[in-house]
Amino acid sequence: QKSLSGKVTNKANGQPIAGATVQLKGTTTVAVTNAEGVFSIPTKGTSGTLVVSVIGFEPVEQSISGKITFNFALSETISQLNEVLVTGYSVQRKKDITGSVSVVNVRDLKAVPAGSGEQLLQGRASGVNVITSGQPGSGSNIRIRGITSFGNVDPLYIIDGVQGSIRDLNANDIESIQVLKDAGAASIYGVRGSNGVIIVTTKRGKSGKATVTYDAYVGTQRPASGNPFHLLNTQEMATATWAALKNSGQTLTHPQYGSGATPIIPDYILAGGTAGIVGSSPATDPSLYNIDFSKPIYQIVQANKVGTDWFHEIFKPAMIQSHTVSASGGNEKNTYLFSLGYLNQQGTLMNTYLKRYSARVNTTFNIKNNIRVGENLFIYARENPQIGNLSEGNEISMSYREQPIIPVYDIKGGFAGTAAKGLGNAQNPVAMRVRAADNKGYSWDIQGNAYAEVDFLRHLTARTSFGGTLDNFYYYYYGYRSYENAENNGSNSFSENAGYNRSWTWTNTVTYSNVFAEKHNVKALAGIEAVESYGRGVGGGALGFFTDNPNFRTLSNGSSGFTNYSNVYQNSLYSLFGRVDYAYNDKYLLSGTIRRDGSSRFGADKRYGIFPAFSLGWRISRESFLRDVSWISDLKLRGSWGKLGNQLNVNPANAFSLYGGGPGSSYYDINGTSTSSVQGFIATRIGNPKTGWEEDVLTNFGLDAALFKNKLDISFEYYKKSINGLLFTDQAPATVGGATLPVVNIGNIENKGFDFSATYHGTASKDLKFDIGLIVTTYKSNITDIPGQYFEAGGSRIGNFVRNAVGHPIGAFYGYDVVGLFSGADDVSKSATQKFAAPGRFKYRDVNGDGKITADDRTFFGDPNPKFTGGLNLNVSYKDFDLSMFMYGSFGNDVINYVRYWTDFYPSFQGVKSKDMLYGSWTPSNTGAKTPIIENESNFSNNGVVNSYYKEDGSYLRCKSLILGYTIPSTTLKKWGIEKFRIYLQAANLFTITKYTGLDPELSGSNAAFGIDYGNYPNNQKNYNVGVSVTF
Amino acid sequence: KNFLEKAPLGSLDESTLATKAGVDGLLIGAYHLVSGFGGAGGGWQTAASNWVYGGVASDDAYKGSDPGDQPDIVPIETYTSNASNGYFNQKWQAVYDAVQRCNSVLRVMAKASDISDADKKRIAAEARFLRAHFHFEAKKMWNKVPYIDESITYAAGNYNVPNDKDIWPNIEADFQYAIDNLPATQTAVGRANKWAAMAYLAKVYMFEKQYAKALPLLNNVIANGTTASGKKYALVNFSDNFNAETKNSAEAVFSVQQSVNDNSNGNNGGWGDVLNFPYNGGPGGCCGFYQPSQSLVNSYKVDPITGLPLLDTWNSTDVKNDQGLKSTDPFTPETGPLDPRLDWTVGRRGLPYLDWGNHPGNDWIRDQNNGGPYAPKKNVYYKRQEGSLTDKSFWTNGVTANNYTIIRFADVLLWAAECEVEIGSLVNAMNYVNQVRSRAANPNGWVKNSSGSPAANYMVGLYLVFPDQAYARKAVRFERKLELAMEGHRHFDLVRYGTAATELNAYMAKEKQYRTYFNGKSFTAGVSEYFPIPQSQIDLSKGTLKQNPGY
Repeated sequence: QKSLSGKVTNKANGQPIAGATVQLKGTTTVAVTNAEGVFSIPTKGTSGTLVVSVIGFEPVEQSISGKITFNFALSETISQLNEVLVTGYSVQRKKDITGSVSVVNVRDLKAVPAGSGEQLLQGRASGVNVITSGQPGSGSNIRIRGITSFGNVDPLYIIDGVQGSIRDLNANDIESIQVLKDAGAASIYGVRGSNGVIIVTTKRGKSGKATVTYDAYVGTQRPASGNPFHLLNTQEMATATWAALKNSGQTLTHPQYGSGATPIIPDYILAGGTAGIVGSSPATDPSLYNIDFSKPIYQIVQANKVGTDWFHEIFKPAMIQSHTVSASGGNEKNTYLFSLGYLNQQGTLMNTYLKRYSARVNTTFNIKNNIRVGENLFIYARENPQIGNLSEGNEISMSYREQPIIPVYDIKGGFAGTAAKGLGNAQNPVAMRVRAADNKGYSWDIQGNAYAEVDFLRHLTARTSFGGTLDNFYYYYYGYRSYENAENNGSNSFSENAGYNRSWTWTNTVTYSNVFAEKHNVKALAGIEAVESYGRGVGGGALGFFTDNPNFRTLSNGSSGFTNYSNVYQNSLYSLFGRVDYAYNDKYLLSGTIRRDGSSRFGADKRYGIFPAFSLGWRISRESFLRDVSWISDLKLRGSWGKLGNQLNVNPANAFSLYGGGPGSSYYDINGTSTSSVQGFIATRIGNPKTGWEEDVLTNFGLDAALFKNKLDISFEYYKKSINGLLFTDQAPATVGGATLPVVNIGNIENKGFDFSATYHGTASKDLKFDIGLIVTTYKSNITDIPGQYFEAGGSRIGNFVRNAVGHPIGAFYGYDVVGLFSGADDVSKSATQKFAAPGRFKYRDVNGDGKITADDRTFFGDPNPKFTGGLNLNVSYKDFDLSMFMYGSFGNDVINYVRYWTDFYPSFQGVKSKDMLYGSWTPSNTGAKTPIIENESNFSNNGVVNSYYKEDGSYLRCKSLILGYTIPSTTLKKWGIEKFRIYLQAANLFTITKYTGLDPELSGSNAAFGIDYGNYPNNQKNYNVGVSVTF
Repeated sequence: KNFLEKAPLGSLDESTLATKAGVDGLLIGAYHLVSGFGGAGGGWQTAASNWVYGGVASDDAYKGSDPGDQPDIVPIETYTSNASNGYFNQKWQAVYDAVQRCNSVLRVMAKASDISDADKKRIAAEARFLRAHFHFEAKKMWNKVPYIDESITYAAGNYNVPNDKDIWPNIEADFQYAIDNLPATQTAVGRANKWAAMAYLAKVYMFEKQYAKALPLLNNVIANGTTASGKKYALVNFSDNFNAETKNSAEAVFSVQQSVNDNSNGNNGGWGDVLNFPYNGGPGGCCGFYQPSQSLVNSYKVDPITGLPLLDTWNSTDVKNDQGLKSTDPFTPETGPLDPRLDWTVGRRGLPYLDWGNHPGNDWIRDQNNGGPYAPKKNVYYKRQEGSLTDKSFWTNGVTANNYTIIRFADVLLWAAECEVEIGSLVNAMNYVNQVRSRAANPNGWVKNSSGSPAANYMVGLYLVFPDQAYARKAVRFERKLELAMEGHRHFDLVRYGTAATELNAYMAKEKQYRTYFNGKSFTAGVSEYFPIPQSQIDLSKGTLKQNPGY
């Protein structure tokens, strides 16, 4: 046995390429180049072919023909076609792929500063929709090819072969991300694949000398400026109040504004129990002041006659910074990568933040020529207290509910609030945020796997991988006793919660790869996999702490109101799967997969499910009739059909009828003690052992083209996804009882749409290069069958905004359709009979034309699903400068601006109202108004029911990122021992173009109801960063 | 194979529960929902006190509070409801959740082998008592409702039960079984006993106008009835009925047992009535709902000579109030003679509000323009009880251990009076009424100033004669109003009398000058007596349930 040797270099600059794979074609004999680009590969004969491949370069083949030294000069890849992609349990060249796979450009991905991995995907992969709030560390709604369920539609994340989460991955650690969208690609994941699969591979060391890189950015995030909710000031609120009382025929009197023809703005809004003091009075004597709970509260609060800008009292500019240091390297035998990350994203909302400390260790060891072992390990700790986003009770909502006449502080620095009468029941949002400063949320996670691979019998490779995740979470809240509000917390309180989830995955595969007669390329894979998950949580609360001193906060130090709970779950999955890929002469591609899953979530009779898929590809460009068409570099048609499953929306206990209960649901003080209750039980769950797999049937057609010498890559796909036997909680009338009904297989949803992506690589001159990428995603979700024909969601003070009904898209808005406002008594009498009809109130459409407005006249008036979403990416480089811009947009989606319930109607609680209400509402002389008459009465014809008044166009186009970078020429740096130094300036969310009048039209929600603005942490804050990337 | 056998964790299965202890536990689980809270449905929508459906939907009280808070109550108050109003669905869900909890007891007990026959009878009787109670709740709300017994289950697929039959006979049968099988005294004061069942069956007959069937039961209860703890039924100090410290007295025939600080997160503390406290101060701190009407307050005026209520002219002049006044403006309360029960029923300016000092008027009212000058009182706790008999975990302090009494002995006496008016002796009727009035006339039970003198010009006289049946009927019904006001009975009583349309239309005609939202509203005879069957239940039943007439 002798060996061949050689060197691999970059054709462009002659630099050696480390880590390139050199393979004796058709065999499993491989070698890897070292730091000098040198390789040595054993061989038995003098014939055959060497293939050199490395990510980022076009592979090159050379026939051996008796030579013993070789020089390979590789060209950088322009076309993505030869990229090697990690797909289900294997790797494939992009050009061989017949399923639907979106490849995410990781370099572009990192261009957006974000605390969570999911956010980075927005606009980066066709077929993927991402909606996130601006709250640091918040989760995102990710929908791959539409909404396929009313429950969980999260995709399956496979990180280095193990099911995990990408939320806290360090973006700098990511090597590649692929999104598997159709059955051809994702069926290999069987029951977990129906929501799509996102495959993440993390970086490894490359053989060669050790390199150290440092990536960092630091910047500032700026909240929206101006008057984002269009709210009234103090004087205007008084004017509006008088208008409301007058229009309702009520006495002109108000606790703050006196009783007269015109309202008087008082000097003090509160002194002891007295409201609305003009001038001073004995009650405003500061010596009476007290906010110590041991004595009666006596607050003295001056009016803010100008008006408090509550939004900007809680939203302040905030800092963001991220640092990653990584060291990597290795030799032919072993490689390593070690990285440390630190992220600190302060939220623009006071006292919200995400801090994350992470470390990654990835190593590989080539023990023998045919045996490799390795591991990937990621650990992190995170601190991320959260607020309840999209809720009327959060601080953001309080900022449009708290009146401007209320100052932030009283005369001695205590908090001011609605304890001053006549100003509603909102809470001081600054007080809420300040008091929340001690709330903590921590988690500590470990993700990773260890694996071993053995090549044997020439064409076979066996691989075993064992990995998993272990996450621990811990959070606590302290509730202060409050004094400044109309509705106060009567007691201080403390709650403390902790738990863990653990999940392991053990995967064993054998792959076979061979080429017959040079033309028949066959790959086969067989595997077996087991997954088990288990978790527990525990927590409790107590009230009545002797002191608010933070050092005193343990549950046992409370004095009353002790509560506790714990919970537990487990489930498992056992699977067999196989895959065959066949390619004839790189022209005809055929692939088939099959997977059999067994899940503990289903009863014994329905436990196993089989998920097959087939896909075909035809590389037309390889046909002789296209050979000579020079502008077509590559053209492939492909199609797939297959089945996928989903089990996420099935409780592990679904098959069982169970009993339980708890103090608040089934205990009773049968002995009349007043302070204790006796344990009782209730039926908690009705089991259904007959529930089985949800089947998604996916059909996909795709066209991939590389045109004009690979300068233009286009991919177009059309798909249809039918969910049959949707796992859906059974619906039954209340006479069945209150136990949770089982999830059953009823209901069908159909999604259709197309995904489009195009990239153009341009070279204007030797120095000026540019790339333009466009990604378009569409989907149309239609409910074709659910039990009971519909169910409602999207609850509010005035009812449900959403009806999920057969024949309509998921999440469709439903209610009365506002035709306009009644212009006068004449209009009322001529129109259909409507309860509480009066001039200036809403006139609803008589949908069924029966002359009366009844519940039957409610109709579908909006759709929160976008017609399409898209990302446009532009990269330009000129000499050492680079410029990139990324735009993201969502078009054709309606949103509900529920904030208007609070701000546009005087009787919707006595909070601050909008300029629209005061200046744009109906009056006898302004009958063309959009906003109804100002009045102090709540009813069916104004703010009492869900109607189309709240609907707005939620389309937007946002400049997510604009970056200008400069790379210092390497000649200058060499003497410092620095290989590369790039510095950049970035503006994120520089502008958003939208007609939406609320804070931000990017509104998440549940999958049954979304796009409703209940007080959203906006995700549109401008962010200016400076960053560096240094390689030593 | 075993790898995929994952037993559900943290729950019980039926075989574990099919024992005496387990079935007892299920029975407790059924009792839990007597409060209306902690199962399906919401809180105030499902309150045991029925303050919305029995109180606001009558001349007792206004919705109160802010006009936009709980806007779904506005159409209920003004008889303009439609079937999609979420309140009705919640109440419906709560009632039938509770019914199936009772049925669970019967179903699981059938599989248990360690329960003696005597215990089985007792347990079944309690479960059926509760099942009848919950069906009664549905019946009085909607009239046409399905009756759900233990044979109706998800597994059997027979849960789509039509509402085409009158279910009074089913309710009667359950109560009759309870009468026959329940002991007179029970080990726990909260359990239903034989006498509670008998009183409840009489109540059913009152709703059916079957006075001849009701009267003997009532006579028996009055003569021999005792509470579950063995106390002979009697009228106690009036205000003791509304105080957690004196609950389960001799007057309590059947009550919701409310408890606080019991690890239930407040759920067992009368969450249904938690909105019904003064606003911005005083007890509870929230939310200013269920404000007594001017008309109700006027009902407590008495004739200055006889001390009897003004049966015909009660609403022609108003008791003096502080509408439009700030708490700092001077105000002197009404000086004319009043029935003392007024000031245990209604919180009004200048009168002691339990031990919270004098009600300050406007400062405790959320929006006088919308809700008027008064505050509710019967559900309110005493200041000295805050923290011990209330739970302070929430945005409200109104989670209390104050029971709501579903049937109290005064109720029983006044039913007996009604029966006597209709089929018996006017003298007996008058005696029952006077029995109730005598208790009210006892100065020991009056609201006192801090000096110990009566807080207002109180006066209660006894009837000397019921001259004819019409007068007697009017007097008995008026007495029920005075005695049981703000206890969630009024709407159902008016419907039962058949006078709802007349009385409520007169009420709105008078009140619209104060509460502008009554303008143009009316009670439609033949429709508004019953609430609409919730639309979502009709839809879920795939049309098996039929809507009530007029909706």
